[in-house]
Amino acid sequence: MKKMMRLLALLAAFTLFAAACSSSTADSTATGDDDTETTDDGSSDDGGEEEEATEEDGGDDAGDDAGDDAPEEVDAAQGSDLTFHMITHSDDGPFWSVVNRGMDAACSDLGVTCVWVPGNNDANVMVQGIEGAIGEGSDGIAASLPDPAALVPALQGAVEGGVPVVTLNSGANDYQEIGALTHVGQTEFIAGQAAGERFNAAGVTHVLCGQQEQNNVGLTERCGGLEDTFSGTVTTGFMDLDADTTAQQAAINAAMAADDSIDGFLGVGPVITLSGLRAASDLGRDVTVGGFDLTPELLGEIEGGNILFTVDQQQYLQGYLPILQLFLFQTNSNTIGGGLPILTGPGFVDASNAADVLALSEAGTR
Amino acid sequence: MSETTMDEGHISNADEAGQGHEATAVATESRETTKSAAAPAADERLAYRSIFQRMFVQPEIGAIIGVIGVWTFFWAVSLNFGTAGQTQNWLDTASTLGIMAVAVSMLMIGGEFDLSSGANTGAMGILFILLIKEVGELGGLGISIWFAVPISFAAALLIGYLNGKMVERTALPSFIVTLATFFILRGLKLGMSKLLTGQISVTFTDEASGYDFWQPIFAGEWIRNEHIWNSRDIFYLGFAIGGAILLALSMCEMHFVRRETKSAAGFPVLGAGAAGVGVAIFLMHTTDGVNANALAAAVLGVSVLVGLIGLGMWRYEPVESPGGIRLTGKINMRIAIGVALVGAAILASFAIDSDNAETLFFPFTVQGLRVVLMMALGGAGFTLLTWAANLALRVNPTTKLAVSTIMAGAIVAFGFVIRASAEATKFRTELFSVFMFAALGIFVWSVMSVRFKERRSVDDGADALGMKGLGLGIFMLVLAVILRHLFVTQDELDAMVNPARFSVRMLWFFAFTAVMAYLLARTRFGSWTFAVGGNAQASRQVGVPAARTKTQLFMIVSGAAWLVGMLLAFRLSSLQAGAGDGEEFEFIIAAVVGGTLLTGGYGTAIGASFGAAIMAMSLVGIQSARWNTDWRFVFLGVILLLAVIANRYIRDQATATRR
Repeated sequence: MKKMMRLLALLAAFTLFAAACSSSTADSTATGDDDTETTDDGSSDDGGEEEEATEEDGGDDAGDDAGDDAPEEVDAAQGSDLTFHMITHSDDGPFWSVVNRGMDAACSDLGVTCVWVPGNNDANVMVQGIEGAIGEGSDGIAASLPDPAALVPALQGAVEGGVPVVTLNSGANDYQEIGALTHVGQTEFIAGQAAGERFNAAGVTHVLCGQQEQNNVGLTERCGGLEDTFSGTVTTGFMDLDADTTAQQAAINAAMAADDSIDGFLGVGPVITLSGLRAASDLGRDVTVGGFDLTPELLGEIEGGNILFTVDQQQYLQGYLPILQLFLFQTNSNTIGGGLPILTGPGFVDASNAADVLALSEAGTR
Repeated sequence: MSETTMDEGHISNADEAGQGHEATAVATESRETTKSAAAPAADERLAYRSIFQRMFVQPEIGAIIGVIGVWTFFWAVSLNFGTAGQTQNWLDTASTLGIMAVAVSMLMIGGEFDLSSGANTGAMGILFILLIKEVGELGGLGISIWFAVPISFAAALLIGYLNGKMVERTALPSFIVTLATFFILRGLKLGMSKLLTGQISVTFTDEASGYDFWQPIFAGEWIRNEHIWNSRDIFYLGFAIGGAILLALSMCEMHFVRRETKSAAGFPVLGAGAAGVGVAIFLMHTTDGVNANALAAAVLGVSVLVGLIGLGMWRYEPVESPGGIRLTGKINMRIAIGVALVGAAILASFAIDSDNAETLFFPFTVQGLRVVLMMALGGAGFTLLTWAANLALRVNPTTKLAVSTIMAGAIVAFGFVIRASAEATKFRTELFSVFMFAALGIFVWSVMSVRFKERRSVDDGADALGMKGLGLGIFMLVLAVILRHLFVTQDELDAMVNPARFSVRMLWFFAFTAVMAYLLARTRFGSWTFAVGGNAQASRQVGVPAARTKTQLFMIVSGAAWLVGMLLAFRLSSLQAGAGDGEEFEFIIAAVVGGTLLTGGYGTAIGASFGAAIMAMSLVGIQSARWNTDWRFVFLGVILLLAVIANRYIRDQATATRR
């Protein structure tokens, strides 16, 4: 009975939670104070000036940023008038939830308002998100570029309209064309190359490179990098979406069964990597599995010795650093990286450091 | 069908005058109206339909032909497809997809959609895991699986009930209402997972109370390589051959006129044929090499013919005067074009150098061109020949035999070409035997039709016996396949055969399909479903509780989503918040491929399950054939298009014949 009550309470809580989520944009804008309307009307410059004048109190987070700039006066409780938008192709999967946490941490550290706009792998939704952010008078846009052709013009529009842009995750090849401050991410090709070296060292001869999306430039580059450095054969293929792991596993199973020489599998995402591991063990084949990105399940398999390595692009930084860069630019006209992209990877997690990373991953920041 | 053809049909039927001489061939509307006007004495509802016509008007037939066609196609182009391991692989994919496709197809027959069905599968699995996950700061409720199963099931039914009620009360299209449910479920999945566990994927362990009992129910496995049965192939062959023979006999029984008094003269001939079949199988089993097997195959072909003629002499009314070959201009033209096309296909195959591996233009290779030419020209040729054979059937059986012989010859020739170019065109050499069997079947059946009188009237005794035989024959064939898939021989183990893990998910799929097929076809609820989908207003006026029926259909869909959620949760022990999102369209596509109409009121449960099988087979088959996966959706698109066109054709035929 008690459990039933708890259950009902939970369900009720969720309904409220869901309701709260749906109106999050409005809420977060309102959190600042009574001059919500001023923010909307006034230009971003004014907002910055006001801040410098007003705050002095809290300051608990301000220490994070070197004390010589304006940020020292910024306070989370009082809030700044800066509003940044992060528009990504996020599907709210394991990867993007960590980016989201990085963004949240940066925003509460800096005391700015951030809006998370997940695009769910739909470039059109992202373009609308970007245009929406410009229309709301955003003080800075951080965006991922899974589909440059569709997104570059929209972001160029933002830059021309005086909104600073930082690209993140995918987009290393296009951020300069946009006129973005910098790009925060890993170069997918280099990450794939590093994975290829790992497979070489493991003595693998034929790697199946499985993709969970078909039109994602970044994923294609990962397999391309693998092909570049790997000394054996690489077969690349689309293995169905993460939303249907049953079909994904079946596709990998069939691809492996069709070619006995396959003795390595590289999944270019965490979910497909685990699908590949299951397919190999169903077939009773000795396949060396490598993966991309981190989830607790994936790290557990690395710790257990079933997966050789995973390429870690430290996506927490991809949420944190763009906000920091936008903030520093707006308050102090600073740019980081000297015009070059800021690389957050590739780092590797293998049996040697899996346990440490696992603890952080369970906390949701790796 | 033109006027001339109809006249010929009349002529050929005239000498076999009888009450049921209508529906000789697939009837068109105009033809049937004229007929029933001419012979008002006959009760049109009892019009005789031949075994083939009866098979052809089943709504599932499109999907069944599709399943056989897609299976054969992938079997022909890949070495792996068709092994137990890959059969398990696509069946497993088909299971979760199929359970939902069947439920969704029921709802579609009832005239509604449920766009929340995909997200619902993941939601049910996540709800279940959150219920049983151990208590902790970032944990679940930690209740026993014994309670979590009914609680989550009740939650599923509630969602279905709410969907149904909302559609009823708001009178909005279900497309809109369930779209809202979809977003709500999707948000709840992510929100709940993150709030409760801080993760976007939820996991549980085998320590949950009741796990040992429920795990085998939702995720039990039969690992083929652990079940060795060395004499498996004897039973496999026995059941397969026995089943094939039973099928042939039952078809004869249902197609030919039984004799008043049986004639013993047929026995020796029948015995000789049977003995020949035995010898041929023995030869095939013991000898190796092309020549020996060709000899065995020849013996087999002749023996089947002799045996069936013996059967006919014993049981069926002979044709006194089969008539001569009367080829009309139309038939001749079709034969000529058909043969020319098949010839062109064969020529094309020989004209293109089999060693030439050049790429003509991306992604088309010389050998690809060769395959396409062979398939396109050959396919068109055989279609024309089939057409000619159908026209010939309206003239008389002898003419049909003549055309069929030409067709069988063309098939044999084509089979040899396939074999000769198998390597370059990436076809299996075994495809050759399929062509040979097809040619044999067509030829033997035509010979039988010339020698023995085809039935034109209802014969309940013969039909009952034939149906029993058909059922038993199909059962034996299925049993043979099952035996072969469930057990492994020591020889196969020594050859390192891939293990196949048959999961209990397949049994859930079969059982669910069977129950739904029964509900739909045999119960009042099923009839109401068709009624509300066909015309909700009219059905209400005749007393069908339309709203209640629809709500129940929504509950069936969400109940199925619960089942799939359980299967997913126990399969992976963990679920992503995004699990199932977007799958609802796959369910709808599978239902449509299986012959369900988007407009409601027409479809079957079994058809939807075959639709799911077709989709799963293409997924696995494309990987097995090692095709470039970039083109996967092109293939899926073509299959969808062909399926819809075929279903439409069959539906037209069915509605025309069934009146």
